[in-house]
Amino acid sequence: MTDQPTSSPRQFLLNPTRSAQQGVHINIGKFGPEYEKIVTTMEIHPDDMAELGVVDGDWIVVSTDVGSAEFCCKSGKVPVGMLVVPYGPPTCKLMSGDTGGTGMPLSKGWDVTAEKIEKPAQSPNED
Amino acid sequence: MYWGGNPAECHPRHFTKYTLMQKSKFLPRGRKDRTMALVDIRATKSAKAADIFLQVRPGKDFEMITILRAMVKGESIPESQIAETGLSLETLEDLVARMKAAKFGAIFFGMGLSMTRGKHMNSAALLTLAAEMNAFTKFVAMPMRGHGNVTGADVIMRWQTGYPFGISFNRGYPRYNPGEFSTVDVLVRGDCDAAFIIGADPGATMPQPAIDHLAAIPTICLDPHVTHTSKLAKVHITTAPAGIAAPGTGYRMDEIPLPLKPALNSPYPSDEEVVRRINQAIAKMPDWMPEGEPPMVLSQV
Repeated sequence: MTDQPTSSPRQFLLNPTRSAQQGVHINIGKFGPEYEKIVTTMEIHPDDMAELGVVDGDWIVVSTDVGSAEFCCKSGKVPVGMLVVPYGPPTCKLMSGDTGGTGMPLSKGWDVTAEKIEKPAQSPNED
Repeated sequence: MYWGGNPAECHPRHFTKYTLMQKSKFLPRGRKDRTMALVDIRATKSAKAADIFLQVRPGKDFEMITILRAMVKGESIPESQIAETGLSLETLEDLVARMKAAKFGAIFFGMGLSMTRGKHMNSAALLTLAAEMNAFTKFVAMPMRGHGNVTGADVIMRWQTGYPFGISFNRGYPRYNPGEFSTVDVLVRGDCDAAFIIGADPGATMPQPAIDHLAAIPTICLDPHVTHTSKLAKVHITTAPAGIAAPGTGYRMDEIPLPLKPALNSPYPSDEEVVRRINQAIAKMPDWMPEGEPPMVLSQV
């Protein structure tokens, strides 16, 4: 269940990605707060953050045609209009199961909407 | 040349051990004798290592490769078509000139090319570009694989069945059809009523409908760790990690098999031992094929 949005939705292109730390946690384990933080921290261009009305540490809900998931915002060196986050259980909720006959679901370049939400009650991104 | 890959994050030894830093007979100055170009939709950490960074517009990789193929052959391309890629004619002309001037070019492509819009068509176009470059100089292309021994799985399936993945044995012989027999499709359609997962964590990587189906059916998981998949599985058999506490063979991305010697002992059995014991138990069961034909197992193919 997603928290109620506090801004109007905006269109983005979401590119899930691999990261070194995400790979490390394959061996360390995926059930600690560190892994949770890695796979829920979404990089956004500072201009897009301003447009969404969010600052570092704020939360957004990202939605596709198949589902939605919540992410913590972090300003980063990504192009305007693009969201970047490491693959993980939250991105699974956004991924379509349609492989288009190739055997491989579209794993990058998803059309999504994003909008600000209140911080979830149990946030893994607390320092 | 890296395309849609971020080795600085995902393959951290690639630059130093294979592509950029190594000194060799023909490139005695190592990095100074090499040129690295990176094509990606954003400036990743790997861009810092590159001599040339080409920021292609998202979803325009196929167009850019096709334009490069035409330019390599001396065809002229309207600037409006080049502009669609987010790059300029001068930038692409410089890249083509450098590719032709290279003594030995290598293209490494990652998920940013193969798992984005266009998928295998992007990979096929890039492999064609590499093949066509051989009219001018030596050129090769190689995919940058994901975590773990993905290459090994492909290689073994290839020499056992003739196909790398997406294989069905339900007629008693291997058939290949991605989109029909591939794991995600089978799970999303709900075709299978049991699943056996070895050394993978689809519960943290696959689309949610596939994960939901894995949770709904008897899923058996072999993994040294507790994973999202092991948590949804009906049975989780803990195994010794290969290369650390169990011997085995790991395949390098260039398909070179490397023997793995365990450094530690483990109280847990290896994946191989568990699968062998399951196979032995299955072999004692009555045949299920209507004609009484015994089901084909991989070692008989």
